[in-house]
Amino acid sequence: MRIVVAHKWAADPQEAIVTSDGRIDQSRAQPCLSEYDAVAIALARGLADSVGAELVGLSVGGPEAASPLATKTALARGLDSILVLADQALASADSTTTAQALAAAVTELGDVALVLTGDCSIDRGARMTPAVLGGLLGWVTLTEVSALSLDRTSLTVERELEHGRQTLVLSPPAVLAVAAGAVEAPAPGMRDVLAAARKPVRQLALDQFDGDWGPLGQVQDRTLAPAPDRRGIVIATTDPTAAAAELIARLERDGLTWAGRP
Amino acid sequence: MSRLSHVIAAGRPVGRLVERARALGGPVLGLAVGPAQVADELARTGVERVFWFETGPDTPVEAQALGLAELVANRPGHVWAGRTAGERVLLGAAAAALGAPVLTDTVDLAAPDGRLVARQAVLAGRVWQTVTFDRPVAILLEGGSAESDDSAGPPAPVEPMAAQPYALRQTDWRPTGRAPVDLKAARRVVAVGRGLKAESDLGLIEALARALGAELACSRPLAEGLGWLPKDRYVGVSGQQIAPQLYCAVGLSGQAQHLAGARAAEIIVAINSDQQAPIMSEADYILCGDLYQVVPALIKALP
Repeated sequence: MRIVVAHKWAADPQEAIVTSDGRIDQSRAQPCLSEYDAVAIALARGLADSVGAELVGLSVGGPEAASPLATKTALARGLDSILVLADQALASADSTTTAQALAAAVTELGDVALVLTGDCSIDRGARMTPAVLGGLLGWVTLTEVSALSLDRTSLTVERELEHGRQTLVLSPPAVLAVAAGAVEAPAPGMRDVLAAARKPVRQLALDQFDGDWGPLGQVQDRTLAPAPDRRGIVIATTDPTAAAAELIARLERDGLTWAGRP
Repeated sequence: MSRLSHVIAAGRPVGRLVERARALGGPVLGLAVGPAQVADELARTGVERVFWFETGPDTPVEAQALGLAELVANRPGHVWAGRTAGERVLLGAAAAALGAPVLTDTVDLAAPDGRLVARQAVLAGRVWQTVTFDRPVAILLEGGSAESDDSAGPPAPVEPMAAQPYALRQTDWRPTGRAPVDLKAARRVVAVGRGLKAESDLGLIEALARALGAELACSRPLAEGLGWLPKDRYVGVSGQQIAPQLYCAVGLSGQAQHLAGARAAEIIVAINSDQQAPIMSEADYILCGDLYQVVPALIKALP
């Protein structure tokens, strides 16, 4: 039995440079394994150990997803092996295309009981890939998972929803997105890093799989988001009481009133 | 290409989505997942028909993803849903069945000549792009009630669906006891970030929120890393996206991912000790100083 963690080698959009004509320069933005993915791997490691399953990482993305830095970083987190599907066509793929590539790889791998993912990717943060992947595989999909246990035939999932903690029982296979704070994911130690270098890395090629991997829409134009139309009025705070009075007076001039507050 | 739209309802109001789907000019069908009440409410939003996937009290809406996806596959069209966990899973299953792209962070949508033209905010809202689609798309948007009341006509017919749900059962539910918060409905919001030194200092920010007549919100690390506030109170690209009259950001740096959720506010006040924090260049009123001095002064000064 295999447990798969789908993870993404991606850069934080905060680090990207946007030129004045709306071009995106990612060259200074260093891709990494996000904290969300590290949490998913940590939770999956515990689960795999509890049932004696093999823990396989699965990374889909542009050519850099197959770089030794990318695969070793993920392996050092405790995966047994890693499967990579890297292709230029997947470099900036949307959630649906990414999920299609993941589904193809999961099917190719076989004997998969669970696919875990992080809460979201750091580059897109759309939180949609697990849902599309579950739909493609025809597997139950749950997000915000904070704990789980597995026995031979059933999976018990806990999730922390907005207004309570829910326990659910289901039969594998399933796709589960792990909540951001589900478990601690300590940084790997030297022993983990050394072990990672000896773990198996297997690469898949996109042309093994049928499908149209091109973009699903045509980008017509890209521009800098309109500059925020803000007043930028600085209120000095050397005297906090005076600052408070000035802010309140200005908000009142903007039409705010203090009557009828709950 | 078909101009048909499907709007998914799973327990939250979606009148606003129906309104926007109708603006594309094609027929709009409703896909209700949940108890009868969900289908009945959807039937009064202006959709033509409602297909109802019933779930019992111990079954989460995610159990009906497969049946819903099958229906959409047989009637291809755009699919609309709100941003809760359950709605996302249902939308994802529909997108999978159609091979449809999922549009998140959509600024504007139009279908001038049958093609769909989407204006999207990408890279955490830093870049806008216009993308055209010659195929059905899945659209993730903030739900909510319709802006105009369109409930005058008779309700649409509701057709129960007999799809086989996933074997998925809730065996335990322990409420947190916290009242649900509707940040989107709040006219004023006080949001706090990592400038707050300790959880016990939250009382200070709550007092400011009370004094301003505002709801309390936060940045993602406070809700998820630190767990000081529940998740429905964090604002950002993956959290709540709100447009209050007043957004008062306290000790909050304003990274792009956070600001993407608050940028639509009418007035932004920033209280922060760091002059260089991104929030300072996106605020109407900038108070550069120690929140532990400024906030008590504000509470005291408010009438």
